[in-house]
Amino acid sequence: MRGRDPRQGLNEMAGAAPRYQERKHVAPAARASRAALIFVAIAFLGLLLLAPLGAVLAQAFAEGWRVYLESFDNPDTLAAIELTLLTAAIVVPANTLFGIAAAWAIAKFEFRGKSLLITLIDLPFAISPVIAGLIFVMLFGAHGWWGQWLQDHDIQVIFAVPGIVLATAFVTFPYVARELIPLMQQQGSEEEEAAITLGAGPWMMFARVTLPKIRWGLLYGVILCNARAMGEFGAVSVVSGHIRGLTTTMPLQVEILYNEYLFVAAFAVASVLALLAIVTLVIKTFVEWRADRRTG
Amino acid sequence: MSIVLDQVTKRYQGLPVVNDVSLNVRQGEFLVLLGPSGSGKSTLLRAIAGLTDIDHGRISLHGKDVTHLNARQREVGFVFQHYALFRHMSIGDNIEFALRVRRVKASERRARRRELLKLVALEDMDDRLPAQLSGGQQQRVAVARALAHRPEVLLMDEPFGALDAKIREGLRRTIREIQRELQITTILVTHDQEEAFALADRIGVMNQGRLLECGRPDDLYTRPATRFVSTFLGAANLLLGYRTSRGVRFDRRGTDTPREVVAVLRPEEVELAVDESQVRSNFVGHGEVEEVLFSGAVERLRVRMASDGPVPVAPGREAISSRGSLLEVSRTLPEQRAFPVARGLRVAVGARRIHVLPTPISSFTAVAPTQAQAEQLSDAPLLAALGARMQTRVARQVGEVERAPPGMPVIATGPGSARAALWQLQHGASQLLCVAPAAPVPQKVVIHTLDAASRRATLAVAASLLRHVAAEAVYLVIHPGAAPESERAAHMRELLDARSSALSEHGLDMRTELRPGEVMEELQRELGAEAHAMLVLGTSRPESISWEWLGSILESPTPRTVLIVNSSRTETAVEAA
Amino acid sequence: MPSSWFRQPSILPGFGLTLGFTTFFLSALVLLPLAALVFKTTALTWSEFVSTVLDARALASYRLSFGAALAAASVNAVFGFVVAWSLVRYEFPGRRFVDALIDLPFALPTAVSGIALAAVFSPTGWLGVRLQEAFGVQVAYTWLGVVVALTLIGLPFVVRSVQPALVEAQRDLEEAAETLGAGPFYVFRRIILPAVMPALVTGFTMAFARGVGEYGSVVFISGNLPLKTEITPLLIVIKLEQFEYGGAAALGFVMLLVSFLMLFSINLTQAWSRRRQTGTGGTQRRQERRARPRPAPGTQ
Repeated sequence: MRGRDPRQGLNEMAGAAPRYQERKHVAPAARASRAALIFVAIAFLGLLLLAPLGAVLAQAFAEGWRVYLESFDNPDTLAAIELTLLTAAIVVPANTLFGIAAAWAIAKFEFRGKSLLITLIDLPFAISPVIAGLIFVMLFGAHGWWGQWLQDHDIQVIFAVPGIVLATAFVTFPYVARELIPLMQQQGSEEEEAAITLGAGPWMMFARVTLPKIRWGLLYGVILCNARAMGEFGAVSVVSGHIRGLTTTMPLQVEILYNEYLFVAAFAVASVLALLAIVTLVIKTFVEWRADRRTG
Repeated sequence: MSIVLDQVTKRYQGLPVVNDVSLNVRQGEFLVLLGPSGSGKSTLLRAIAGLTDIDHGRISLHGKDVTHLNARQREVGFVFQHYALFRHMSIGDNIEFALRVRRVKASERRARRRELLKLVALEDMDDRLPAQLSGGQQQRVAVARALAHRPEVLLMDEPFGALDAKIREGLRRTIREIQRELQITTILVTHDQEEAFALADRIGVMNQGRLLECGRPDDLYTRPATRFVSTFLGAANLLLGYRTSRGVRFDRRGTDTPREVVAVLRPEEVELAVDESQVRSNFVGHGEVEEVLFSGAVERLRVRMASDGPVPVAPGREAISSRGSLLEVSRTLPEQRAFPVARGLRVAVGARRIHVLPTPISSFTAVAPTQAQAEQLSDAPLLAALGARMQTRVARQVGEVERAPPGMPVIATGPGSARAALWQLQHGASQLLCVAPAAPVPQKVVIHTLDAASRRATLAVAASLLRHVAAEAVYLVIHPGAAPESERAAHMRELLDARSSALSEHGLDMRTELRPGEVMEELQRELGAEAHAMLVLGTSRPESISWEWLGSILESPTPRTVLIVNSSRTETAVEAA
Repeated sequence: MPSSWFRQPSILPGFGLTLGFTTFFLSALVLLPLAALVFKTTALTWSEFVSTVLDARALASYRLSFGAALAAASVNAVFGFVVAWSLVRYEFPGRRFVDALIDLPFALPTAVSGIALAAVFSPTGWLGVRLQEAFGVQVAYTWLGVVVALTLIGLPFVVRSVQPALVEAQRDLEEAAETLGAGPFYVFRRIILPAVMPALVTGFTMAFARGVGEYGSVVFISGNLPLKTEITPLLIVIKLEQFEYGGAAALGFVMLLVSFLMLFSINLTQAWSRRRQTGTGGTQRRQERRARPRPAPGTQ
């Protein structure tokens, strides 16, 4: 019996022998402590993760299928779904493009200030979502740095869709880059060099060699980026102004419905978001499994 | 010529990793670049492919200067150490890649793919992914892929490095066959001498960024020119010998003016016998068998020579060398049967064949008034580095003596050193190193001769030095301001002669410069341009040098390291065995 | 392609394009807005700044935000370690499922976690009722609720940091210690813990940093009573809603400083753990690489 660990694909690729082996004869005391540890781990996760997830579904379906479905028959909710999709449709491609560019520059070249650049790319991870919203208010809001100018030209950023897009882009900024940089560093540049010696031009090299090499990592980064983009609450909440049907995204709609004690409706919308999270996890698990298999 | 390299230099963080390499490879030739890791061979290969840019020099492929062309335009086939196969493409698609890039018609691509798969004997692997193949198969795919666009040059960077011994051997044969069949000019980089012997038409041995020697495998093995090559290619006993009228001897007795030489004695050329009268080859001395190792076809022995026997070139602690040197011996089965030996047996040792290295530097002797100063001197970075890299001895000599020691005496720079230097030169030293004990290993070597007669000897010593010091070399001809115009042409000729003879005779490639001005001023200026520069100064008339003149370099507040070559005492002809 | 002080030459294309785009995008989206916050903060006078930042309500919010984040990170350090240990060292049914589940807090929108936790732990909720009955403890709408929410949010940071370190930790070292007569606790304390400590510290710091800034999952369960269960990010939102831009900026500035400090210490601990993990071995390869013009890929 061999333990299975998340990085095993990598180990196998490096030709490493399995790192450890379960011993055949486990002393009774060890077996007991083992069972106890597994029990503690599962109980902890059950209470912390599964219970809330179950609660969402239980509450959403508390009054049956019909009421669940009816809660979506609300123009504000539909508008929120639409806005969430629109935001993700803008933010995810932009950050994907950025992530690929940043990973290429950082993983393939040696230049000064590289570690500073990596730190700066990570910055949005370290910043509270509320601050992420706040900084855009400070830049574009009525009393912001550029507020006066924007008002004079009648451009609305804060409490409007552009602000939501910007705040979402900020919080999801590092996801793709973060996924790709270590992957590309680990893969090295030999295949790209081979393509060049065989006569490939830059685009050909990128499209036919680099992109296929990184596709699973890229997919993973895009999925995480998308999940966060659709689910962001704090940053969007600060810049949205909560105008119903206009500047509420799905998580904000959940909040509005919840605060109005429309629990079934709130949990119904939440269940859609939870489903999104589960789909994300499934794809992630699949991608990891895929990557393991291909390199193994 | 298929591949021509001219003074190729690549620096990395200021240090040359490829240092002035010039090389010609003929059409259809299989050249193996051999060297230890970090010797610059892979960098040189990548430079030829255009994967690395160079700082100096030119590269041409088939008569076309490609120095400024990028890798894409050079049309070479490159095989990477870790194959670099495109993981997500099938074997067939990998091989077709170069053709697809060139928009070759699908039918033609298919035909070429089949042809190449047949060439590397992987006909059925068309649709597999690289990960489904063994390492050896993957490397064969990599070779096929590199050949797809019919490049005129094939470059291979340690192609067998990641494979185990058995597969390696088979693949070696395959590659050699393919190369013969296609008659494609090939350079292969490896650190494995066996591989080099098995594949090469010619082997180029690299160390510390320099191409030390280049020649046919058997030539390099039997007649190496350098210590490094003689010990890197196969095993060798390096001994200090003395050239006499009756050939090379290993003891100094009976030789009045010994000329020290470095002799290479291959283990298989050593003859063991019961006593001196039974030795059929040149008698070397007596010794005692210290170790016997049976290893199949050959028997490996170590024989401890008597303490008055031959002196090894290799550095050893005094305590050990006083016990006599250890000789590596290998014997075939018939030899073993003819004269079985065991540990502790006293034997007479003969040498069937001795090769004398044409190196002009044999050993160093640190000369100083006191033991402490001599020790400090022999620890000087340059001297320590030379001793280690040339695998030679740094002896010490303390106090008053009558004549200069054999080999190269070394003295410390500073007050009084100019006089001491001249004394050494006038008392038998053919070479002399004046070194500041604290100065680091120089990064630049300025070569200058005071008269034309000393040029050959100076270049020979400089070449020997530069093989072991990763420094840039510049040959300076100084044209006195007052000299007439007609002399200018002579100086120009000297410059060109110097470069061509350095290259052809010593394999040393260097920059050359002609300067107008006063000799000492120009030398000082050139040396001053670099913090750690040293001077190699040649003369055939040391008596004409005044100590004040020499003192302005050796006794200045920031003294420079100077190597003086006294050609009046050097026979420079390359000595054959 | 000349060598320059700025970058080492490479034959790969696209350096200018990708680095240019990266720095432009980074400046426009991240650095410029951050500068705006700093700019707005500097518009305040010193006394205004101090009175906002050291206001009793603000101080209470710091206490809650930092205290709860610290408590949550500590809970995670213990239980996260147990979870990681079980996942790496033991084989049990559903292990892959559990492994996948760890990332749920990353994927689940914070607002959803927030209302879900509120539903579970509210006095009428499934667990809330039981806790109330059994221990007389109320979780929702107290500081305890904040801790629970932050524990949920921080869990994956600890588990995902510790997991690879446990995989790396050499099992044969433990076995060697056992053959030398060490008991399980001794082995744990002297062999296992030192090996995973850097990773554990990194995970702890990341969980803590995330907890300090967390908003979505907390506001639904905390009750948001000023001076009692009001976290700092919420205070910023409240100030914004009351159009106190200066006050919001000042508090935001303080939190930003804290974020920088966190980021700095995370980088430090990661550098520390890298140093500890790269000991002997691989020298040969490193030397071979040094001979090449392009050095080994840098750090992750």
